[in-house]
This record gives sequence, C-alpha cells and structure tokens, in this order.
Amino acid sequence: MTDRPHKNTAKRRDFLKLVGLGSVAGAAALAVGTPPTKAEAAKPEAAGYRETEHIRKYYETARS
Amino acid sequence: MDGARALNGAIDPGRQTPGVPEEEQLRAEVYGVLARLLAAPPDAALLGALAGMSGDNSELGAAFRDLARAAATATAEMTAREYHDLFIGVGRGELLPYASYYLTGFLHERPLAELRGALAALGIARAADVKEPEDHLAALCEVMAGLITGAFGAPAPLERQHEFFDAFIASWAGRFFHDLEAAQSARLYAVVGRIGRLFLGVEHTAFEIA
Repeated sequence: MTDRPHKNTAKRRDFLKLVGLGSVAGAAALAVGTPPTKAEAAKPEAAGYRETEHIRKYYETARS
Repeated sequence: MDGARALNGAIDPGRQTPGVPEEEQLRAEVYGVLARLLAAPPDAALLGALAGMSGDNSELGAAFRDLARAAATATAEMTAREYHDLFIGVGRGELLPYASYYLTGFLHERPLAELRGALAALGIARAADVKEPEDHLAALCEVMAGLITGAFGAPAPLERQHEFFDAFIASWAGRFFHDLEAAQSARLYAVVGRIGRLFLGVEHTAFEIA
C-alpha cells in the first residue's frame, strides 16, 4: 500500500464530497494572513467603508 | 521557541500540497475561514469574498449561502462592532472562545497546558506579538488547517488530526458555536456559529468513517 499522507477511504471521500465544503473555496484565499494591522487599516478602503479612529481601535483591541 | 512555527494567522489554508486530496484541502479551507473570522472581524475585502460564495443543498451549503447573504449586506464597520460586542466588550465580551474556559470555567487552565505540550511536539508556538492564550478557537482551527495541509512538516495522517481534534476541539467547540449562534449581539457571526457547529459534525462523522 502506498504511503499517502491521507489514507482516506472511498467512504470518507464520498461523504466529504457531499457535505457542501466546496462553498468555501472562493473565500479561503482571502482568509490567509493576520488580521489588518494598524498600518493596513489606515489605508483608505473602497467606497462604502470609511476608515475611522473607531475602527482602528476595534482592530487594535481585537489583536491585543 | 527557536525554530518553532508561529501561530499568528499566517498559515495558508489554501496551500496546495501534493498528496492532499481536494476534499481534505477543502476541510483546511473551512478551518482557515473560521480561524480568520474568529481572530478578528472581516475587512471589506474578505466580506466581498464571502459575499461571493455559493452553496449546494446540503445543510452546510445552505449555511454558506446564508453567510454570503449576510456578508453582502454587512459593512466592515458593522461587523467590527458586532465582533467587539461578542468577543471584546468592556473587560470581556459576551463569549470567551477558549478551551480552558469552556472546559473548566476559567482561563489559563489545564487544557491550555496540555495544548502547549501538544503544540511543542508539533513544533508550533504562539507568535511573540499575539497575546491571546493558544487555546483560542481561532488558533486551534489554524492548527487543524496546518495539520491537513502540512504547514508544520508533512501533512498529518488522519489519525493524528483526529487525536488533536478529539483532545482540543471536540469536547467544547460545538457548545461554543451553539452559543455564538444564539448570542444576543450576533448577526453575521450567528451564521458563523451555525457553520462551525455543522462543520464540527461533519468532521466528527468523517473521522469516524475514515
């Protein structure tokens, strides 16, 4: 038997294929990395979101 | 800890490792999204990515669609406030997503000590600038993603993943996600709670039939 990192059975594969994990594929790339730092949060964002001191404080306290 | 990989949100759940089947990769990505959302509120870019998610007719698929809807109507400011009320508050938030807290009623308890031992064996330590104890659910989800994709060395065998899941997540995280779903301040995060709860059920079942 080849030494694969995941010795998953067909049953497991089939189960995982049916439970709806695929939704996440689009969003996962942006879920990488640390939450916004103070420096990043200070950059102006797209229209509809205005950076405020209020928000900077939330990010700061979220990291502490 | 010299040479130790740091838990600091930098584990890439989307990394493609040869030998890791796609369905296992997707597990890592769910853990990655949960980790990111539990560590901090989503910024505008992440809200946009979440809003673009689609879902099939499974329970989890429907929950992801609901998250997409919630993300589409939320602003970063709103979710930052929601996150603050849920997890930070004044002194403490509504919820404390720590294994020690859920298992003993107190922070910095034996579950944290045991976790540190397990992390040391994996060559992982908390990053210097991260002040939360390691038994925060965001960090635990990060570890699961890393075990699956091989962020700490080779991808961990399912048995090892199952061990970690059973030791540090299974006994309490379902209750936390249920509490999150029901929390007074929760809106977008209520759906995160539902996704977490459903995903833990998927993980439990999938480990059993492996």
